[in-house]
Amino acid sequence: MMFKSLLAAILLVAASILPAAAQDFIAGIPRNQTLIIQGPPAQNAEWFNLWAPGGGASNNGLQQLTADTFWFINPDGTGDAAWTNALAADRPQYNADFTEMTVKLKDGIFWSDGVPFTADDVVYTVETQIAHPGMGWSAPFKVNVDRVEATDPHTVVFHLKAPNSRFHTLFTVRWNAAWIMPKHVFEKVADPLSFNNNPPVSLSAYVLHSYDKAGNWAIWKLRDDWQRTSIGMGLKEPPQVKYVVYRNAGNPDARVIEQLNHNLDVINDIAPEGMFTIARKAGDQMAAWFPGFPFAHPDPTLPSVLFNHQVKPFDNADVRWALALMIDIRSVAMGAYRGAANLAALSTPPTGIAVPDYYEPMQDWLKGFELNTGTRTIKPYDPTIAEQVAALVRPQWGDSIPSDPAKLKSMFGFGWWKQDVQAATELLQKAGFTKQGNQWMMPDGKPFAIRLMVEGDNVPTLARAGSIIAQQWSMQGIKTTIDVAGPTNGQRLGAGDFEAAIYWSVETWGGHPDLSFFLDSYDSAYIAEPGKTQPPRNLQRWKSEKLDAIIEANRKVAFDSPQVVDLGRDYLKLAVEEMPFIPLMAYNKFAPFDTTYWTGYPSAADPYSASGPFWSNLRYMVVALKPNPNAPKP
Amino acid sequence: MFSILRDLLRFNVEFLVGFVLTALIFLFAAAHFFAPYPDTAIYLLPPDMPPSAEFWLGTTSRGQDVFWQMSAAIWNTMTFGLVVMILSRIVALAVGMLSGYLGGKADQALMTINDTLIALPNIPILLLVYFVMRDQMTWPLLAVTAALLGWNYDARLIRSVTLSLRNREFTRHAVFAGMSVPQVLVRQHLPYVMPVVFFTAMNNLIWAIGLEVTLSVLGFSDVNRPTVGGMIYWANQHQAAVSGIWWWLVFPIVAVVLLFLGLFLLAISINEYIDPRSRLSRMGG
Amino acid sequence: MDGFAKYLARRFLQFILVIFLGVSLAFLITHLSPVDPVEQSVSLMTNFGATDPRSVELLRAALSELYGLQGSFFEQYLAFWGRVLHGDFGPSLSSFPTPVMSLIMGALPWTVGLLTLSVLIAWCLGNLLGALAGYFRSNILLKLSGAAVMALHPVPAYIIGLLLLLTFGFVWPVLPISGGAQMNLQPGFSLVFIGSVIQHGLLPALTLVLVGIGSWFISMRSLVSNIVTDDHVVYAELGGVSSATIFSQYVARNALLPQLTGLALSLGNVFGGAVITEFLFNYPGVGRLLIQGIYSGDYSLVLGVTTMSIVAVAVAVFIIDLVYPLIDPRVRLG
Repeated sequence: MMFKSLLAAILLVAASILPAAAQDFIAGIPRNQTLIIQGPPAQNAEWFNLWAPGGGASNNGLQQLTADTFWFINPDGTGDAAWTNALAADRPQYNADFTEMTVKLKDGIFWSDGVPFTADDVVYTVETQIAHPGMGWSAPFKVNVDRVEATDPHTVVFHLKAPNSRFHTLFTVRWNAAWIMPKHVFEKVADPLSFNNNPPVSLSAYVLHSYDKAGNWAIWKLRDDWQRTSIGMGLKEPPQVKYVVYRNAGNPDARVIEQLNHNLDVINDIAPEGMFTIARKAGDQMAAWFPGFPFAHPDPTLPSVLFNHQVKPFDNADVRWALALMIDIRSVAMGAYRGAANLAALSTPPTGIAVPDYYEPMQDWLKGFELNTGTRTIKPYDPTIAEQVAALVRPQWGDSIPSDPAKLKSMFGFGWWKQDVQAATELLQKAGFTKQGNQWMMPDGKPFAIRLMVEGDNVPTLARAGSIIAQQWSMQGIKTTIDVAGPTNGQRLGAGDFEAAIYWSVETWGGHPDLSFFLDSYDSAYIAEPGKTQPPRNLQRWKSEKLDAIIEANRKVAFDSPQVVDLGRDYLKLAVEEMPFIPLMAYNKFAPFDTTYWTGYPSAADPYSASGPFWSNLRYMVVALKPNPNAPKP
Repeated sequence: MFSILRDLLRFNVEFLVGFVLTALIFLFAAAHFFAPYPDTAIYLLPPDMPPSAEFWLGTTSRGQDVFWQMSAAIWNTMTFGLVVMILSRIVALAVGMLSGYLGGKADQALMTINDTLIALPNIPILLLVYFVMRDQMTWPLLAVTAALLGWNYDARLIRSVTLSLRNREFTRHAVFAGMSVPQVLVRQHLPYVMPVVFFTAMNNLIWAIGLEVTLSVLGFSDVNRPTVGGMIYWANQHQAAVSGIWWWLVFPIVAVVLLFLGLFLLAISINEYIDPRSRLSRMGG
Repeated sequence: MDGFAKYLARRFLQFILVIFLGVSLAFLITHLSPVDPVEQSVSLMTNFGATDPRSVELLRAALSELYGLQGSFFEQYLAFWGRVLHGDFGPSLSSFPTPVMSLIMGALPWTVGLLTLSVLIAWCLGNLLGALAGYFRSNILLKLSGAAVMALHPVPAYIIGLLLLLTFGFVWPVLPISGGAQMNLQPGFSLVFIGSVIQHGLLPALTLVLVGIGSWFISMRSLVSNIVTDDHVVYAELGGVSSATIFSQYVARNALLPQLTGLALSLGNVFGGAVITEFLFNYPGVGRLLIQGIYSGDYSLVLGVTTMSIVAVAVAVFIIDLVYPLIDPRVRLG
C-alpha cells in the first residue's frame, strides 16, 4: 500500500516536470532572438529610478539599454571614432572662458511612450536635481550650474558658476553619466527620491518587457519604434537582438556551467581558471577579447599598490621606490592572473588611446630614466618583461603565444621595473633604515612591518596579487600581513584607515587622452585631514606642488586640445619620479562570449564597443550583434 | 577504563574501525609539523599538477602541495572542533548535572533557558557574529561562540541520566555520608555520565567541524589559515570543480568524510555499549 | 482538557521567551558592527562614476539625514523592538530604498516551501525506513539501504549539494542549477509555473533530504529495536496479532513521539543546511539573501533576516508543539 502511494507520488512529480522540461529555456521568448547576459546579484527588483541614490547605477539593463545622454566615449577606442554623439547633435560648445556650454540636440528622438524628447527634458533634469538634494547628480549640478535654459526645443545653454572646461564630462558616458529624466513622468510625482518609476519609459532602443519580483532577472525588448532613438538613427540595419535578458547566474562555477550549456551568452567576469576551462571545452563556440591566451579584456582601471601618504614612512619616495623594486612582477602576473596580465609601469591603464598617446612615445624616456639609490644611479626599467612572461606561459599554451615582440607587448605590457633587491636595500638605507639579520628596522628603531589591505571576494585576482606581494616583501625582511577588508574596503580606503592597499586610484576614459577623469581630484585642495574622509580618487592623499601645477594648467586647456596629451605626459613622468603608488597592471576581466547564437562581439582586433555587461556603452555592442546561422533551431 | 577500551577494540567491529580511521586521520594531520614548506606559503610549487610520484596528492592552483596543505588543514580544523567540543562539554556537564541533581525550581529554570536556546537557528546567529566582528574575528572567538550554541541538546541528555542516578541507593549513601553537592556530582555520578558525554562529544565534534567547513566555504573565516573549509573555498575561488583540478577538492572531502565516519562509528558503538539491552542483543540474547 | 490548556500555556510562554531572547541577542550583536551605512552608500555610488570631491560631501550630508541613525543604546533598543513589532527593519542599504521586509517577504515563501517539503520527506522517509529496518532485522534490502543512508550521514551538506550540482548540471545536464523557476513565467497557481518550481527545486530539495535522512533513520531504528523488546509488543506477538498491525500501531506510533520532539529540536540546525544549499544553487530564499547581505555589508538586511529567521523557527517549533498533543494522549490528561 505504502509503496503504491510512493510510486504514485513519484509519477505525479515526473508528470508535472516533463511539460516544463520540454519548454524553451526562457518561457515565451525565442532563444535565437535573445541575448542572455550575466546580471548583478538579485536586488531592488521594483526600483527603476536611476536618479535616486542606490538606483543611480542600476545594473540590470536599465542604464545600459534604456537611459541616454549627450555623448559616449568608447573605453576601448582610439581617435575620433571613440567619441559618439548620442542625444547631442555635435560636440559641446564652450564660450571663450568656459563659463557657458551650449549643446545642440538631435531632432526626431522620442521616449518609448510616444512623447518627443526635447530640451525641456534636459532643463528639467538639471533643475529638479538641484532642487532635491540627495539625487544622483544633485551635488555636481548644484556646484557647477548657475542656471540652465532651453533657447529652442533642440538647444540647451548651461550657465556655469565658475569656469569649468570639463563640465561636459558629466554628460559623457564612460561607464555611466548624468542620464536625462523624462519630464512628463517625473513632473507628476511629488517626491522624485521616493518614486520607483515602475515601469520606466525608455529613451534608447530597448524597453522593459518583464522582470522578476525577487530581482533575479529582467527582460528588455526592442522597441517597435527603435529608429526614433539616438542609437537607432545611426544604424544601417535593424538590430537583430530582439530581447535582452539580464539574469543572476550564480557562483562563478555555475556561470561556467551555464555558458557551456548555452544558457548564458555574455559573462561579466570569472576566474582565469574558469576562462581557460571554457576555452578548452567550448573551443570555437567561444569568443573573447583575445582569440587565444591571455583572453582577458583590460578595463581602463589601474590596480596598484596604494600607499597612505599620511602614514609614515610611506610619505618618503625612496621607501616607496624600494618597495617597488622588491617586487618580482612576473610572479605577481603568474599568481594573480596565471600570466594573463597586462603590466603597467606608467600611472595610466595601458588600454585604448593610452597606448598610442602615452605608452609608445614614452618608451625611450622610460628606458633612460635614472634613479639615485644613494650610492649609485640605476636604470630600473625593463622593456623585456613581456618576453619573460611569455616564456613562462609558453609551456602551458605553446604555439598560441606569438613571438612577435610588438604583439607580446600588447598582450603582456610594455615593460616594468626590474626586481633589484640590492638597489632597494640602498634606497632604504638612504632613507635611514637599517637591517638587523633579515629584519628591516625603521629609523626610529621599530621593526618595519606593513599591513596590506585587499578587498577580498569581489576582486579575487587582486587579493591574489596582494598575497604574492606580501610574501615577497616578507621574505625580504619586511613582515607584511594581508588584511581582508570585504565590504568595508571602500569605507576604509576613504577614511584613510590603511597603510598600504591593493586597489585603484586611477581610472581613465580609455578612449580619450585627457587624464582629468581622475587627475582633477588629485588637487591638494581636496586632500582631507588625517582621520577625515578623502573623496575619490586621491585615496593615497598624495600632495605635490608640481602635480598641482599640472592640474591647474589642464583645467585651462580645452578638452580636445593637443596640449592635453603633453600635460598627460608631464604627469606620467612626475608619477614615475615620485612613485606615489605602484602601478601594477590593467584591470583584466575574463569575459567569455558564447557564439552559439550570436556573433560579432568586440575584440582586440575590432574594439568597436565596450563589452562589459555593466558598462552603459554595451548598447553599441547589443545592436551590432549578428545571429549565428548555425544556431540550433527552436 | 583501559580494560573497557581493550574489550571494545577486540569485540566491537564498529569501534575498531572507527578508532582506526580517527587515529589514522589524526596521525596524518600531526604530520604537518614536519612539512617541508610553511603552511601559509603560496606559489612555491608548479600549480595544477595532478597526483604523481613527486606530489602524491597533486598541487593546487596556488602552487601548494595538496598533501601538506591537507595535513595542516585537518589539524587546524580538528583543533577548532576539539576546542568547541571541550568547551561545550564543560557547559553541558555543568548545566545538565546541576539541573538533574538539584531538580525543582532550579531544574525548571535551567531547562527553560536550555530549551529557549535550542530553538535558535545557529547559522544565522554565527553569520551575524562574523558580520559584525569581521576583522577581529579569530578562530578562538568563533570556537567560543560555537561552543556557546552547541551545548543545549546534550545538556538535556546528561540531565536525564543524572535524574535517574539521583534516586539510586549509592547517591543517598553519599549524601548521608556528608558529601557536598559538587563532590557527589564529580565523584559519584560522573563515571556513569562519562559514556553519554563521550557519545555526545563525538556528535558535537562532527557538528563543530561541519560548522567550520560551512563557514569557511562561504569565506567567513580567516582564509589565509589552512583549514578544510578554507581549502574548498580556495578551490572554488580558482574554479577547480569545472577546471578539472579534481584532486584539490576530492582529497580534503574524502579526508573529512573518513574522519566523520570514524567519529560516528565511535559514537554509535559507545552508545550501544552504554545501553545494556543492545549489549545483550549483540551477545545474541 | 485541563492538561491541554496548561500545556498550551507553557508552550506559548516558551515561544514568547525564545523570540524575546533571540531578537535581543540579534540586536546586541549587530550593535558592535563596524560598518557605517552612510559611508557604505557613498562608496557604492562613487565607485565607478567620475565624482567631484565637493559633490561627495553634499551627497554624504544628504544621506546621513535619510538613514537616521541617532539616539543612545537603550533608545535604539526600544526603537528596534518597535520596528520588529511593526515588521519594519528600514530600507535595505544595498537595494536602497526597498524595505528589508519586502525583500524578506519575497524570499521567505521559497525557503519555507523548500524546507517544509525537504524536512517532511526526510523525516517521513527516514522514520519509515528506520522503523522497517528496526523491526525486520534480517531483511537484506533494508540492511543495504540502511548502510547507504548511514554512509550519507557524515557527509557535510555542502559536499552533497556540490556533487548533485556537478552530476545533474554539468556531467549530465538534465536539471536546472540556478533560480527558483523558469524565467519570464508569471508566478501563479498555473500547472506550468508549479511544474517549473518543482523542477528548479528538485536538486536543492534532494540535497536537504539526503543530508537529513540519515539521523532520522538511525534514531528511529534504535528506538524501534528497543521498543520491540518491550513487554506489550512481545505479548501482542505471542497473542497472534498480525505483524503489520504490531508494526504500525504498537511500535511505530510509540516511536514517533520522541521523533516528533526531535523534529522540533532540530529545526534550528536544519535552517543552517538551507542557507548553504540556497547559496550553492542560487535559490531565491532567505538564506541566499542573508549571505548576499553579508557580502555587500548591508547592515539592515542582515539584521532583518536574522531576526525573521529566529521568529520563523520559533513559530515552526510552536506549531509542532501544537501537533504533539494530538498524538500523545498523556499531555491531555495533564
